[in-house]
Amino acid sequence: MLFNSLDFAIFLIIVFILYWLLSKKSIGYQNLLILVASYVFYAWWDWRFLSLIVFSSLADYLVAMYLKKEERITTRKVLLSVSIVFNLGLLGFFKYYNFFVDSWISAWGSFGVTMHESTLNIILPVGISFYTFQTLSYTIDVYRKKLEPTSSLVQFMAYVAFFPQLVAGPIERAKNLLPQFQKTRVFNSEAVMSGVYLIIWGLFKKVVVADNCAFFVNQIFDSTTGHSSFELIIVAVLFGFQIYGDFSGYSDIAIGVARLFGFSLMTNFLFPYFSRDIAEFWRRWHISLSTWFRDYLYIPLGGSRGGRYQQIRNVMIVFLVSGFWHGANWTFMVWGCIHGLLFLPLLLSNTNRNHVVETHMLWRQVPKTVLTFALVTVAWVFFRADSVQIAYQYIIDILTFSGWSLELFYKSSKMILFSSIILVSLVVMLVFEFITLQRNQREVRLNHYSGIFIALLIVFMGVFKNPSDFIYFQF
Amino acid sequence: MNIFLKKIGILVISVLILGNLLSYLSLWALRQGNFYKPSFLVNGVTETDFDYIVLGASTGLTTLDTQVIDSLTHKNGINLSVDDTPISSQYLMLKHFLAEGKSTKICVLAPSITAFDDQTNRINANDYRFLPFIDRSYVSDYFQSYSGTDARLLSNSRYLPIMGVSYYNAEVFYPSILSVFQPKRRNRFDAKGNYTYPFKNSNADLIENRNTIRVEFQNTDLKKIKSLCDKEGIVLLCYISPFKTAKVNTSNSIYNIINHSDKLLRANYFYDDIHVTSIGRQLISEIFAEDIRPYFN
Repeated sequence: MLFNSLDFAIFLIIVFILYWLLSKKSIGYQNLLILVASYVFYAWWDWRFLSLIVFSSLADYLVAMYLKKEERITTRKVLLSVSIVFNLGLLGFFKYYNFFVDSWISAWGSFGVTMHESTLNIILPVGISFYTFQTLSYTIDVYRKKLEPTSSLVQFMAYVAFFPQLVAGPIERAKNLLPQFQKTRVFNSEAVMSGVYLIIWGLFKKVVVADNCAFFVNQIFDSTTGHSSFELIIVAVLFGFQIYGDFSGYSDIAIGVARLFGFSLMTNFLFPYFSRDIAEFWRRWHISLSTWFRDYLYIPLGGSRGGRYQQIRNVMIVFLVSGFWHGANWTFMVWGCIHGLLFLPLLLSNTNRNHVVETHMLWRQVPKTVLTFALVTVAWVFFRADSVQIAYQYIIDILTFSGWSLELFYKSSKMILFSSIILVSLVVMLVFEFITLQRNQREVRLNHYSGIFIALLIVFMGVFKNPSDFIYFQF
Repeated sequence: MNIFLKKIGILVISVLILGNLLSYLSLWALRQGNFYKPSFLVNGVTETDFDYIVLGASTGLTTLDTQVIDSLTHKNGINLSVDDTPISSQYLMLKHFLAEGKSTKICVLAPSITAFDDQTNRINANDYRFLPFIDRSYVSDYFQSYSGTDARLLSNSRYLPIMGVSYYNAEVFYPSILSVFQPKRRNRFDAKGNYTYPFKNSNADLIENRNTIRVEFQNTDLKKIKSLCDKEGIVLLCYISPFKTAKVNTSNSIYNIINHSDKLLRANYFYDDIHVTSIGRQLISEIFAEDIRPYFN
């Protein structure tokens, strides 16, 4: 069930009405409704994988309950290890099994040793990377005694499967979300209405910005040869906006939908393309994942403590793992590696926290913003390409300059139409975001008039006939 | 809750009113222009009595040049073919033609070869071109006769034009803006409804060893066209267009058939397997002019 589908709209209205009708009964009924609705939402894709969420939830619930009673350190470590092995095992099997087998075979193949392929036809369950990280953080926090485990199984399962953020985040920490399942939710018109506006804004970014950009991006990345350097550059930039519109659009819709039910989810994107360096970019891009890695990988590794070598090692590990989290392909590893390498100079020169406090942008900082965007765009080429070789060739084709032609964008009336829609939508998006950023706000706040304006842009500029899946569903 | 209901109500109603207003204007603009064939027939075709019309898909659109045929037969015809359409859409076009008070002696039906036996029953991706005429009963009945999202959106556009216009915004909304400023503009067809593929400089080798395909004329919409033509006193001619790799065999005696599947003998007459180049079109239109002559008597 896609957020931008009619099925979801109907589903959401039904669940919303039932949910607030139940508010007079008890939160127990509301939590149960959320759980059932979340399982229906997930089963809409593939009901078979519902069992994975159930097993994952039950395992971590039980581990946490044992951890609550257990004081012996060795036993606590064993219990935590069980949770980690179970969750990462699920993720490893469904997401990385084929990748490891293929890589193993091609590694031996390069030495002239032929091995028979024995990979299984494994389907990647939607959202597995997101909910396994969510449950994992729960047991780790309980182990660290930072969180009191819940005794309510329904609450915990609803927290894991909460449908607004189940398949593509934000990856919510139990500390933030779980207590919200324990408190009475009071209907707040202002909050709910802000959720509606955020949904509209998210839909705009997904259906108008991302899906229209996809028109050119898919064409070029399906066949990267025979294009001018300038066309390749523009398409790489368009992919940057596509993935941003797609993923941050999803996050905005998720946060907005959660607000309809009285829940507050964390901000996942903070206008990352206005960042002035890579470090700031990572404080603004997919915040729920980067903070997860910070808290559960980077800091346990030693963080920025220790010598230079350790600092470099820790940063590179985090970025490589982050790349690998996105998918079982070397392209993501290279993408992570590039970001790591771009981050290191800032870390080593102690300038990685230059823009922590100041959020609004000054005009003199525009060149830094443009440079950061350009570096991020180069990395996106690896993220989007089907293989490292294709991405490498893409970059080479840009560098071995083959002209300024932009014919791709105007060679037919259809191309002109899509180019115009993309241009208008990007201007609208960037203007709204820039204004928000300058006001030091954390999300675009539409009002009645701007809400109507954006909704009409969705109606007349959105892609409805052949909508694309959300990119992050594959992760 | 009441404040929320009031706010969301105002938001939804505002979007619906403005969206429908813009959609209505968009359909109105398309209805006044010549951009798509259905509007072109209403605004760009002033004659009412024709000797023949050509209905069809891209094969009919690009194979039979009505200017060439008219000049050789001294008759008056028009090409109403729309690319990528099945016979059901061509049936709708015939109804549209008749509803405009126009008449013809001969109706040449030139769909893709497989369409003659196609039994699938779903709305066509290009049927939105009739959306500006949704207020006409034969158009809305046509959309209503199909199931599926596309068909529902199109048929509901009679009351809520926002549905069809937003779903087909690239195909309907933006061309309508173009129609406002250039009402005479046509979407890839000339004043007689024809379109041609460019000449491709391929070799002029003789085509040998064509496969044989059998056409049985089982399509149910074909029968509907036949009934309508019989009722209106129109002679229906089924035209089988040139095919690069196959020769079509027919054995049906119900329909008048002109079979040109193997008439073009050289490769450079073809743009691809089923479409001809400009020189192929010239040649086949000349042959067709001769073949249609007996039906005028």
